Amino acid sequence: MMALIVAEDLAKSYGRVRAVDGLSVRLDEGSVTGLIGPNGAGKTTTIKMILGLLKPDKGSVRVFDEDPWDNSRIRSMVGVVHEKAFFPSHYKTLDYLEKVCRIFGVPESRAAEVLRLVDLQDASDREIRALSAGMLQKFAIAHALVHSPRLMVADEMTANLDPQARSSLLDLILRLYKDERMTFLLSSHILPELSRVCDSVAIINEGKVLASGKLPELYDKYAAGMIRISTDKPDELSAEVGRLPYVERVDSDVRGISVRIQRESEDRLYEDAPRLAKKVEARIQGIETGSASLEELYRLVVGGNKRG
Amino acid sequence: MAKAKGRPFLEILASALNEDYRFPILEAFAFLYALGTFALANLSTMMSQTSATGEVAAYNLTTSLLGIPLFIFLILIFKNIAYGLGSDIEKGVIQTLFSYPLKRRSILSAKLLSALGFSLVLFFSIQVSALYIIAPGIVMPYLGTVLLTYAASLSFPLFVAGLILLVTLVLRRGGIALVAGIMLYFAMSIVQGLLSFVAYATKSILGLQIISVLSPNVALGTYYGILESSPLGQPWTPGFTEVLGYVGASYAIVVLVFLLGYAYFTRRMNL
Repeated sequence: MMALIVAEDLAKSYGRVRAVDGLSVRLDEGSVTGLIGPNGAGKTTTIKMILGLLKPDKGSVRVFDEDPWDNSRIRSMVGVVHEKAFFPSHYKTLDYLEKVCRIFGVPESRAAEVLRLVDLQDASDREIRALSAGMLQKFAIAHALVHSPRLMVADEMTANLDPQARSSLLDLILRLYKDERMTFLLSSHILPELSRVCDSVAIINEGKVLASGKLPELYDKYAAGMIRISTDKPDELSAEVGRLPYVERVDSDVRGISVRIQRESEDRLYEDAPRLAKKVEARIQGIETGSASLEELYRLVVGGNKRG
Repeated sequence: MAKAKGRPFLEILASALNEDYRFPILEAFAFLYALGTFALANLSTMMSQTSATGEVAAYNLTTSLLGIPLFIFLILIFKNIAYGLGSDIEKGVIQTLFSYPLKRRSILSAKLLSALGFSLVLFFSIQVSALYIIAPGIVMPYLGTVLLTYAASLSFPLFVAGLILLVTLVLRRGGIALVAGIMLYFAMSIVQGLLSFVAYATKSILGLQIISVLSPNVALGTYYGILESSPLGQPWTPGFTEVLGYVGASYAIVVLVFLLGYAYFTRRMNL
């Protein structure tokens, strides 16, 4: 499979702050890869280096096997959505997209098409400056799709969108991925969204890639031995389960707890969990083996890295 | 669909023109140029007719028409480069432009062609029209003198424009670049004025020669003897070839400053 992005040992500092430190990542054609990490992890800096907007202090980045710095050729193959999108604000949305069509040498009718794709057809004669934050984000996505790029790089693409618009956008990503074999690199810290569309992830923290690869492989590697217990009192049950000698880690959320156990301790937890639930008067709604969300996977990777 | 060669550049240029000269900016500056040019026309014609003839008259006439329009030209450049380009960098519009299939140098060229080139076209069309209307008898036979006067007078504003470009690229803030540009211009003008005065007062030929490298109009004016009757006198009269050398040197500096801007924008500017 062809690698569309290959970054090796990237490093970038802003003054004394090291934003990216020895980061390596590879993006294969035909994948939807999530670049996940907390705010300040180095996602935007990494994306800017990939797009040729920032020069790495160290390391190399190749996009379509070329250096992206000031490379006009690869821009015809890459669509970009920045975290904060800005356009010449006095243009009307359709007029500006028609201009972009002319820049990329595609028929101007594509402008109306992409506006429809992001559900902005009713705002076609509205000036860009009159768009709301959410509409501007949709417009940025339409703008990135004008030339039907082979690779879409998006930094916090769903920021400013309401839940319905987010859901529609994720559907659009899946459609473009399946129907047009478009490759995506999506950076976000909203993990449930990424888990819906990504088949690969690169988990970064403090400027380093902690883990990367296909999601099933990462689950096998990091989330084996995970048991999910759904309960109405996750905090109380979590405290009790955490005291069990064979339990390595417990994370709770509003709907239950995720438990990582030592090998061959599964039966013991199945016995102990109902007893402990009774003790704290919690109701167990279900126990599931080998199940972890992307969020849990992320916590396991980041937590494991910190312990290591 | 085949992509027309040069089309992306023209689209970015059209967009830059649209931003730089949106209504009523073009109309306002055209009016100011015309006002500045024609408001001085009668006075200059009178001066050139009464006190000089030939090349000197052509030089006097051209110089007297230049004063206010040159200042307006600088204001327009401050607005377009410092505020326009600076705001594009500050707000992130330039990142959007960098997603198009264009080299960075083409994007900067489009921006500068709009900011500087179009302003120069506007400036010259009004100036040349004024000269031709006011005194065709003086201008036409001495077209070379007129053009040389323009070349000598414009190099300093273009040098300032180049510095403003550098300041804008480094500061990346429209408002701050605008203020810094204005301060820089006035500081340079004051320093140049003081140095000229000191050079004339002390009859320092070297001082005048150094000033002429940045502002060859000093050498050209001296060549035409504009200070012969002044109280300070005229310690230095350069030859015509020497004047051409100063004009050439000043434009070499202008080109160098702009090349520095291009080099920074294309090779080093991180966004």
